[in-house]
Amino acid sequence: MTANALQITDLRKSYDTGVEALKGVSLEIKPGEFFGLLGPNGAGKSTLIHCSTGLAQPTSGQIEIFGHDAIDHYKEARMAVGLAPQDLNLDWFLTLEESLDYHGGYFGMPKKERKERTAELLETFSLSEKRHERTRTLSGGMKRRLILARALMHRPPLLILDEPTAGVDVELRLELWHYCQKINEEGTTILLTTHYLEEAEQLCSRIAFINEGEIVASGTNAEVAERFGTSSLEDAYLELVGRKELSRAKVESEDEL
Amino acid sequence: MSPDQIRFLSLVRREVNRFMKIKRQTLGAPLLETFLYISVFGAALGSRIDKLHGVDYVVYIIPGLIMMAWVTNAFANSSSSLMQQKFQRSIDDQLSSPASPMELLLGFSLGGFLRGGIVAIVTFIVSSLLVDLPVRHPGLLIVTFILIGFFFSQLGVLIGLRAEQFDDVAFAQTFILQPLIFLGGIFYSITLLPEPFRTLSQLNPIYYMISLVRYGFLGFSSTNIALSFLFLTIVTGVLFAFNYRLFKRGYKLRA
Repeated sequence: MTANALQITDLRKSYDTGVEALKGVSLEIKPGEFFGLLGPNGAGKSTLIHCSTGLAQPTSGQIEIFGHDAIDHYKEARMAVGLAPQDLNLDWFLTLEESLDYHGGYFGMPKKERKERTAELLETFSLSEKRHERTRTLSGGMKRRLILARALMHRPPLLILDEPTAGVDVELRLELWHYCQKINEEGTTILLTTHYLEEAEQLCSRIAFINEGEIVASGTNAEVAERFGTSSLEDAYLELVGRKELSRAKVESEDEL
Repeated sequence: MSPDQIRFLSLVRREVNRFMKIKRQTLGAPLLETFLYISVFGAALGSRIDKLHGVDYVVYIIPGLIMMAWVTNAFANSSSSLMQQKFQRSIDDQLSSPASPMELLLGFSLGGFLRGGIVAIVTFIVSSLLVDLPVRHPGLLIVTFILIGFFFSQLGVLIGLRAEQFDDVAFAQTFILQPLIFLGGIFYSITLLPEPFRTLSQLNPIYYMISLVRYGFLGFSSTNIALSFLFLTIVTGVLFAFNYRLFKRGYKLRA
């Protein structure tokens, strides 16, 4: 049996401040899936991602990435993951080329391979002309593209995108969507967190709603909407956060009156 | 080269690249500072100061100045590089990579070690051209410098790791490290001090380091060399082990 791309079992995470960010989350993402994790701010989406990528230490529970335990066999587990974080966490001192080259180095890629992959990704994301410039000179959209290129540098079979389209213009959002769909079709498993429900509807084959550190629903878009007794994902989300009065269907019917 | 070797070299290359990109600040400034000390204290004032332990004053202070260059630069580089990467969160790129705690710790500290080493070696070469600087015990001197450079780059890592604001590193550097270095006997012999300052100076760990370095260059020492060397080896080992524990725990690195 093939191992799941990501298998999370009863994951709990409490911070030193006493905040319990994850309260026994279980989740499985199969190889090749495009999976969406949705939920309001502070629901635990980033904590779940951080625990899966070594940026946070789980309090209890288990995380396996393609069958490798994220704690006991962290090297193998992390080799399989590419992370595009929510923050534009680029090093200001480095050029674009260096940012990708060092990342490839951290993942053990030989020099020749790093060079070729760097050129290929900079070309793909229309950043070739800027390759010798320092990252701090880039616009927000360019930084976002570079973050994605960096996550893909070591050809990870699992790509984790933490709100990749937050604050980007429509053109770049569509560009990123197309690219993600393409690499998903080519076999890369994708875990996407987003606030944009249309993004999840458009891209994801399955989704999960997370709220206050717990998975409250998961399945296909239709299954999740049905679970909340609504006709759309957006209405299901509004149900989840207790704001169903904002439903577009409700607002439109009131307008007609 | 194995993937592990490539990873480790990449971590070190990144640190070296950082200080080479701002070399006016990281290499130029400390070199100028060291030569200002040599000019003012050695050449200008030194001619009016008697010989110390049978050597000219300028020759007496140069070993300490070379050590100070290595110490302050090793500390400054490790602490500020780690702190900046933490604040930018760019450190997450290394933390989410397969790098082990040991690889990360050595990567962050070797940058400082090498920067300090470059400044110290250039200072040594130029000083040797300006004055007749003996090297009595080269073997001991090299090992001592390696231990001292490693100790202070580790100390920089520790301070950078703990830092929560830019002030924290500046505070440690200005209010703790600098006074300890100056009061450790770079510019004078502790034996000239009256009590209780003479005894108090013996509580300063840097006193023993300067003593070892001066012994390596000039061949005389005010401390027991074997004990000083043992002390230096132990404190370096203990600090390294302590930092390794913190990195393994993910202290202030992994939430």
